Amino acid sequence: MKNRLWLATGTVGIGLMLGACAGESGGDSSSESGDATQISFMHWRGEDKDVLDEIIADFEEANPDIRVEQNIYPSDQYQATAQRMLQEGSTGDVFTSFPGAQFESIQSAGFFEDLSGEDFVSNFDESLIAVGQKDGTQYALPYQLVFNMPVYNKGMFDELGLEVPKSWTEFQEMADTLLENDITPIAFPGADIGPNQFMNSMMMNNAPDEDVFAKLQNGEESLTNEWWVKTLEDFKLLADKGYIQDDALGTNQDSAMAMVANEEAAMLATGSYHMNSLLDLNPDLELDLLAPITVEESEATYEGINTATFMLAVNSNSDKKDQAKAFIDYLSQPEVASKYANETGQHLTVNGVEYESEALQNTSYWIDERNTRFQPRFLITNAQIEDAVLSSIENVLGGEDPMAAAEAAQQIVEENRE
Amino acid sequence: MRISKSIYLFFLPGLVLYSLFFLYPTISALFYSFTDWDGLSAAFQFVGIDNYTRAFTGDSIFQKTIGNNLKFMLTVVVFQTLVALAFALIVIKNTKTNVFLRALYFFPTILSSVSVAFIWAFIYDPSMGILNQILGLLGLDFLAQNWLGNANIAIYSLAITQVWFHAGQMLIIFVAGLQAIPEELYEVAKIEGASKWQTFKGVTWPLLAPSATIVVAYTTIQSFKAFDLVFAMTGGGPNNSTEIIATYIYDVAFKSYQFGYASAISIIFMVIIALITYLQFKALRSDRVSY
Repeated sequence: MKNRLWLATGTVGIGLMLGACAGESGGDSSSESGDATQISFMHWRGEDKDVLDEIIADFEEANPDIRVEQNIYPSDQYQATAQRMLQEGSTGDVFTSFPGAQFESIQSAGFFEDLSGEDFVSNFDESLIAVGQKDGTQYALPYQLVFNMPVYNKGMFDELGLEVPKSWTEFQEMADTLLENDITPIAFPGADIGPNQFMNSMMMNNAPDEDVFAKLQNGEESLTNEWWVKTLEDFKLLADKGYIQDDALGTNQDSAMAMVANEEAAMLATGSYHMNSLLDLNPDLELDLLAPITVEESEATYEGINTATFMLAVNSNSDKKDQAKAFIDYLSQPEVASKYANETGQHLTVNGVEYESEALQNTSYWIDERNTRFQPRFLITNAQIEDAVLSSIENVLGGEDPMAAAEAAQQIVEENRE
Repeated sequence: MRISKSIYLFFLPGLVLYSLFFLYPTISALFYSFTDWDGLSAAFQFVGIDNYTRAFTGDSIFQKTIGNNLKFMLTVVVFQTLVALAFALIVIKNTKTNVFLRALYFFPTILSSVSVAFIWAFIYDPSMGILNQILGLLGLDFLAQNWLGNANIAIYSLAITQVWFHAGQMLIIFVAGLQAIPEELYEVAKIEGASKWQTFKGVTWPLLAPSATIVVAYTTIQSFKAFDLVFAMTGGGPNNSTEIIATYIYDVAFKSYQFGYASAISIIFMVIIALITYLQFKALRSDRVSY
């Protein structure tokens, strides 16, 4: 009887130990493999895996003592779990960060290695990397440059004799013409990313002060003030006049993209990162970017929105920082960055990148020639306040009065001020 | 009878697992609920009952999530119980057709919640979804809705998905309960001239009470914990209309990095579930009879 008891207990014990060992080896993705040191590159761009595999293969050939493993997580999951993985230190020797709330929380937790003195920092456009700085220290280096403003069917505009509107009045005239031609002016994916993308260009000239959200968070500004109520009124006008499709809050980004690809809609209210996908769906499209100017031409300050994102960083908890920095150095070489840019259809913040694709070349003028503003949403560093701001847009599109929606959101802002 | 001390070793594996995976996290959550821990830093401060005060008096979204959760729970408990019971009464006899139908009704339960979310997000799509298309074909266009985009109905749309997802599971419990009722009682009811409704009311339902208790309690807990479906289908939107307590805890902990506050909400959440389950057990137990 006693022997059986010990056998049972021993079996359970061994099982638990084996389980624990299995968990350990599965969780450690950063290790010494043979003579080479393996580092983990943690990011959220699953769609870039193939081109990054090619770049990594070239890097490993040039640096035979380093191996790079990609650890990719969907962006939603990444925003929620990256910090936990960085804390442990075995994953994400090199990692990427979103600007805004995620950058702030990683920085305050002390997981960013200081990159200020590194030579490769000069490979990046100085004017585009400030978002990765805090108190004068360069913690992260934005790699991608995204324009978070509507993509429009330029060919359709040309056919209908439409020009890019320079004021809110012209925007409405343009939208009316599209409606007269049975075309939905804006495909708005309200079920997922629509509100958080379109809010940027809708508010950029209503609140030209780039500190407006910092002021909202510290109590100097309110969502019930003119700049946000006007933004909500503009959203309401888009819905009331049919400038965005019916049931917009139930439309996801795939459905919205299909509307533009099928030329049922003229604009997609997301950003430049969807141009490649649209061209995959319909290669005949001629695309460009267009942000609604919600004020009169003389009052307009900005023409569009930019976001320097996919911020490369080194985990301060990593014990392979030198290898991690060597990989970032490699990614910031112009020829490597050019390969990445052209194969993923992204503009980059790296100096000397040569854009080969027509879509990238045709929209490159937005980098130097247009007055764009950093994405305001990423300047909201409190996630609950960001949710309140976005909810007020959904509330208005659901039929609520703009002032009432602003008041409801302001109450949540006040509850969550730090 | 003398019990050998070594018998207590049999409790050990279960006790270790229970302590490790339930007691320790629960006590930790209770501890952190009195702090302002951000979940990342080593340092934190004790804030007393501030997190609890905030939940009840200074957080309108949390209060809204309780309301959303109750709407979701009531819809799911009522419809899931009725649907499962009705189908169980239909497929109670062990014929080949009924065995097949039971397997068919049970099938959604074995799907992953993310798959269910994708299937139903497609069904509910306002422009391409088959639900609105079917309503259109039936000449019922006026019933077509923006099922997940309308803040007034989105939570009920999610509840219907939950019912579809789990009713088959409850049906099996009801079938087992129904088959355990002695046939003689039905024969007596028949001899006494009882109608079908009287038989159900006087024989079936009272003897089914233990199964109903399990179904209602399990459905309640399940609907409070329906995180995955809500997360994948609406993410809590539009305008927090489908935000339930579980998804809100996730947002507070992993997006806002307020682990202390999220722990406090989790403790409140646990108390709410325990309280509702206790009340349900008490109410349903009073219905129980034995012959």
